[in-house]
Amino acid sequence: MIGALARMPSTLRTLGSSQVSNLIGLLIVAAALALTLQHVLQHSASLFFQILIIGIADGSIYALIALGYTMVYGIIELINFAHGDVFTLGGYFSLALFPIFGIAEGKAGFGYVIPLLIVALITMLLCGLVNITIERVAYRPLRNAPRLAPLITAIGMSSVLEGAMYLWRGPFSLHYPDLLPLTRFNIGPVNIGVKDLIVIAFAVILVVVFTLFINLSKLGKAMRATAQDRDAAQLMGIDINRTISATFFIGAALAGAGGITWGLYISSVDPFLGFITGLIAFTAAVFGGIGNIPGAALGGLLIGLIRAFSDSYFDSSWTEVLIFGILIATLVFRPTGLLGMRVPEK
Amino acid sequence: MVRARGLAVLIIATFVAFACGGTTSSGSKGEIDIASDLPTSGADASSGLPTQEGANFAVTRAGTVRGYTLKFVPFDDSVNGVHDPAHGVQNVQAMISNNLILGMVGPFNSNVAKAEIPVANAAPLAMMSPSNTNECLTVTYSYCQSADGFTAESLRPSGSNNYFRVAAPDTFQGPAMADFALKAAPAGLGITKIAVWDDEETFGQGVANNFAKEFTAKGGTVVDRKSYDPKAKSDFHDFLASAKANGAQGIYVGGTSATGACKARGQMAGLFNPDIYYLGPDGIGDAQCLTDSGSMATSNMYATQGVADATQNPSAATIVAAYKAAYPGASNIGAYTFAGYDCAAILIDAIGRAIDANGGKTPTRAQVITALGQTKNFQGLTGVITLNTAGDQTTPTLQFQQVQNGAWVFKSQFAVGGTTS
Repeated sequence: MIGALARMPSTLRTLGSSQVSNLIGLLIVAAALALTLQHVLQHSASLFFQILIIGIADGSIYALIALGYTMVYGIIELINFAHGDVFTLGGYFSLALFPIFGIAEGKAGFGYVIPLLIVALITMLLCGLVNITIERVAYRPLRNAPRLAPLITAIGMSSVLEGAMYLWRGPFSLHYPDLLPLTRFNIGPVNIGVKDLIVIAFAVILVVVFTLFINLSKLGKAMRATAQDRDAAQLMGIDINRTISATFFIGAALAGAGGITWGLYISSVDPFLGFITGLIAFTAAVFGGIGNIPGAALGGLLIGLIRAFSDSYFDSSWTEVLIFGILIATLVFRPTGLLGMRVPEK
Repeated sequence: MVRARGLAVLIIATFVAFACGGTTSSGSKGEIDIASDLPTSGADASSGLPTQEGANFAVTRAGTVRGYTLKFVPFDDSVNGVHDPAHGVQNVQAMISNNLILGMVGPFNSNVAKAEIPVANAAPLAMMSPSNTNECLTVTYSYCQSADGFTAESLRPSGSNNYFRVAAPDTFQGPAMADFALKAAPAGLGITKIAVWDDEETFGQGVANNFAKEFTAKGGTVVDRKSYDPKAKSDFHDFLASAKANGAQGIYVGGTSATGACKARGQMAGLFNPDIYYLGPDGIGDAQCLTDSGSMATSNMYATQGVADATQNPSAATIVAAYKAAYPGASNIGAYTFAGYDCAAILIDAIGRAIDANGGKTPTRAQVITALGQTKNFQGLTGVITLNTAGDQTTPTLQFQQVQNGAWVFKSQFAVGGTTS
């Protein structure tokens, strides 16, 4: 958030430099909002707030995934297409860990908060290790190759992970136990689920903690330095390989946490879940400004809201068209995204 | 040179030995083979294998037909555990090249049938499917070409029919469930407001539209109509919130477990009371759906099946008991086991009549198809079966299933009218 505020002046400058395209963009957004409002008014206010909360819950999970895309892009300018599948792996790892800690459906309660958090930590660790391995095997040898080469190995790694999960647990979706409380309460006309709030809180805490970590810690400083100028950072004594590995680890840990949260929220995981979810999160990262961490969080939240509102008030057949339309429009009219891309100052 | 000649002699000798072995079996006029093409390995095996066992049991039980020895030749159309149309076509080609095979039981899946029918039709080879439900496989409706990319005619290049089935086509499933939902309890569910979803696929959209049409026509209200893309939609909370806000007493989902039709049921926990109805076609009537439903796999879930329950047929009791004795495992009985038995039995019956028509000699494949098309009042395990020229049963049976104690169980069944419309 602090970063976003600091970048405000530059965002305003970009506004000035491309007024025409911004005007078109504003008109489209205004038209979309007016159309949504018209549909919203046809239905009850309580539905509106319910969809809003669902959108925020989805969006905060997209934000968790988008952070990994944006961090990796920021540091080595690679779109890690395997990232979406690392997210799915989070769901698979945690499912395998639950029985070890005695967690099963119908055993909800405060006694399970600690084991659940331990499972989450181990899952994040495992996902991080998988992503470090992927980086070591598939991306590091190609760091000086043409840009296309690591992109292709990224897609290859994505298939490898999907195939591994397919072989591990079969092609069908697996039931993810309902562990969060199912209680719902009303505030005025608004019906809120405790589950939704927990999902949102968990995701927001993780995003904030990791943003602070990157902004304040020594490793975070090394990551930002590496992103700005790899050679200069190396000359200043930063271990580039270690820093890049750390970036992959943190991104994957967040995605792994996202996998657990998603599983708890939608009660199922399947081997190919990460493909489309990853693409949507990638769109969120581009929308917010790829390379920009608060941007990814904001983009994730907005995409989640757009998806929920489009699915509920319009035809869900158009939701993907809308989301990927946003991707194209962002790339064409505002390649720096909403909050501005972190451009390496070379 | 000498070695090569020796080998040739050996091969010829082997051929002669086998040829003699085939014809000299005591008291038999020869061998007639019945093939099957079903998905019997991997994930699909849970439905394909019990069907194959049913067909195998029918052939073994008959043993002979008009003095010919019967043999069952099973084929598997799965590749990596999933039914595969291209592999099914290879199997059919292998059957065609084996002159002893006079007919096949199968295929299991409608998209495999779509690929196999033209190949078998050109041979021609009789096909008898236990489980295909796509209505366009037998009858050309106005939407078949645009929706499915084929029509009953385009699948039959020879111009005459070689394909038959015992399952009720999809046109019946939606309307039957709509009637059931509207009818007052205990004969039905007695609900008037429902949300209807589909998975944007040919099958799902078809049954959902047919359901909605019938439900509205009979006085019910479809309060929410939504479609979802199974590849992209895994969070159904928003759909559920919308259905609830619109006052739906239940949801009809036109889809299959494979397209995630039951994930939404699992997400209902907390949002709806457990007594909310969840209805669907045969695509949700399987174990995967119950897995996805989690704690919401309650008795308020209903599905239609395109085939009758043989255990409800008193005249089938002896054979069903014999089957259970031969195949005692729980996994040996699937939704289409006894439909598989009936398909093989009908084929044997038709081959017998074709032998008679051919003066007791081995009939041609075309003669078997003709006899199959004349099947009338055949006493099968799943009912009395009469086939029409298009390939359908004249009065197929629909079965309702309900979830009880974590499994789909029989609720009721009834015959549905002819397929001409």
